[in-house]
Amino acid sequence: MNAVRSLFRNPPLLTFVLVALVWLVASLTLHGFGAYGHLRYLLELAAVIGIVAAGQTLVILMGGIDLSVGAVITVTAILLPLLSPAWDPTGLAGIVLALAIATGIGVLNGAGAAYLRVPPIIMTLAMATFLQGLLVIVAGGSAVTVSNPAVILLGQARPFGIPAGVILWVVVSAAVLLLIHRMPIGARFLALGANPLAARLSGVSVTRNTLILYALSGFFAGLAGILVLGMNRQGYVGIGDPYLLTSIAAVVLGGTSILGGRGTYAGTIPGAILLVTTTALITVVNASPGWRSIMFGTLILALLLVSGREARR
Amino acid sequence: MSAVSSTGWLYGAIQKRRNRGLGGLYLVVAAFLVLYAVLFPGILSVGGFSKFTQNWFPLALVTMAQALLMLNGGITLAIGPLVSLGAVIAATTMEGVFGVPGGFVAVALAGLAIGAVTGVIVAHLRLPAIIVTLAGSFIITGVALILLPRPGGFIPDWLSNGLAGHTPVAFLLLVVILLGWKAFLATPLGLGIYAAGDNPVGAFRSGVPVERAKVVAFALSGLLAALAGLFVAAQTGSGDPIIGTPFTLNSIAAAVLGGVGFLGGKGTMRGAICGSLLLSVMINVMFFLGFPPVAQYVAQGLIIVGAVAVPELLGAWRARR
Repeated sequence: MNAVRSLFRNPPLLTFVLVALVWLVASLTLHGFGAYGHLRYLLELAAVIGIVAAGQTLVILMGGIDLSVGAVITVTAILLPLLSPAWDPTGLAGIVLALAIATGIGVLNGAGAAYLRVPPIIMTLAMATFLQGLLVIVAGGSAVTVSNPAVILLGQARPFGIPAGVILWVVVSAAVLLLIHRMPIGARFLALGANPLAARLSGVSVTRNTLILYALSGFFAGLAGILVLGMNRQGYVGIGDPYLLTSIAAVVLGGTSILGGRGTYAGTIPGAILLVTTTALITVVNASPGWRSIMFGTLILALLLVSGREARR
Repeated sequence: MSAVSSTGWLYGAIQKRRNRGLGGLYLVVAAFLVLYAVLFPGILSVGGFSKFTQNWFPLALVTMAQALLMLNGGITLAIGPLVSLGAVIAATTMEGVFGVPGGFVAVALAGLAIGAVTGVIVAHLRLPAIIVTLAGSFIITGVALILLPRPGGFIPDWLSNGLAGHTPVAFLLLVVILLGWKAFLATPLGLGIYAAGDNPVGAFRSGVPVERAKVVAFALSGLLAALAGLFVAAQTGSGDPIIGTPFTLNSIAAAVLGGVGFLGGKGTMRGAICGSLLLSVMINVMFFLGFPPVAQYVAQGLIIVGAVAVPELLGAWRARR
């Protein structure tokens, strides 16, 4: 009984247990779900959400939100093939350039939130609207095919049978967890999210940390955009749209408070896997798009009831 | 007698204070309207005015729906899907046995019910509104897609011509709705929505049923959004399961342009309405000046940030002096 109670007090662990249960039940009842190839494919999809949600987790921990991650993914996925110079056989220059642009967009978000004092939800929303327009000007609405070898390697390679995207996710996870829990700057983020005034009076610079956070969010969204591009081999307008809401949902399912100050990336990881699994299960049911949408929404609500509740005020 | 005049004086003072932060907004809106009238004198005719207000009307309704919740300390990301659902229900029920009145009732009931359910989940299960409405938007979109998988349905011509023809019916409806809001704000429950947004604990201790106020706010918000959908269906003559999508962001943008804060209790409905008017005029002007849709996106993004940032910067500059 005590074990159950402590489980409910620990949202990341609870979400992990949920994932394990869903995987177990689905593997026993659905033919082919438990196959190694299928589970690996799920993890590969979850890696994209997980990497976007890394930045989103950081921003939400500080009490903000980033609604431009979908647009940033699209921007990187479309610009990278155009930016990759022909003289560079490895394709790394294109990746660095694309990541720099994504990070720059994040810095602009942070600057708007920090210097212009625009609420983050509005700043990042306006940024998404702005980028949406800019992209159509740049790409003209057609899909671009990637030939950058490094990107394709990232999207398709499987060293030791593990997809490169999943390895990237593991690296990102380790880095973000270290950042939040073992580095002073992580403590500053959490302090700002819990009580901005107290944090500021204790000498934490709101401006500086806001800039760093949104830059990181832009960077991770860009990284996810490159991974998506590698997996799809094509970039098109709207490729990043599905990742905006799923990244926020993954964060909240992982038990991080949307109000900031409380939570951990350790919850977001199973949150992302859980989301991908639910989507996969819904696809198996073979329902019409309308029913699929209803099931997805209902499942998110149901999962929220288990893991996303705000503390009683 | 003196008591009456003193309350009158108090009312005037309060109204003056509530209008204070909005002076700049009124000026900007007036300037844009003058610019619009100079560029397109057609707006000064009855037909032109009607068309203009018809373009504004649904945005004004969804902005009210959003501002209502933001004043209460919430937010909704389900406005767009609710507009779509309203349009779809209108287009599918009006050819049924109950005809147009049945369609109206069905849309209104659907909006109220969905809003109330969302409100109950947010208020009583204590889930954050932004996530609940996010999940809700998937469910509502799904329902709209099931009712009407592709654009179609039927709206009687006389209704389309009545609501979106050459008469300023839409504007009169907006005036009636605003008067209704004014009257509602004078009731304890209406005031409770504000109070609960500003200071939930204080409101609770003063006897405001905080949770009920929240449910009512969500229900009214759902009603307004669904009615906006009905109007959009009448405007286009058919239902479309994704027609409402842009309204989610535009409703938030308009409310914020109008000075409504995210934390509840801060802002006024008249500000929000002005914000929606400003956004509508800007979209119209860009459209008529022949901006490509793409440039409209870019300009809209810049204008929204500017409109929020400039007053903030001015305030900071004034405080520093």
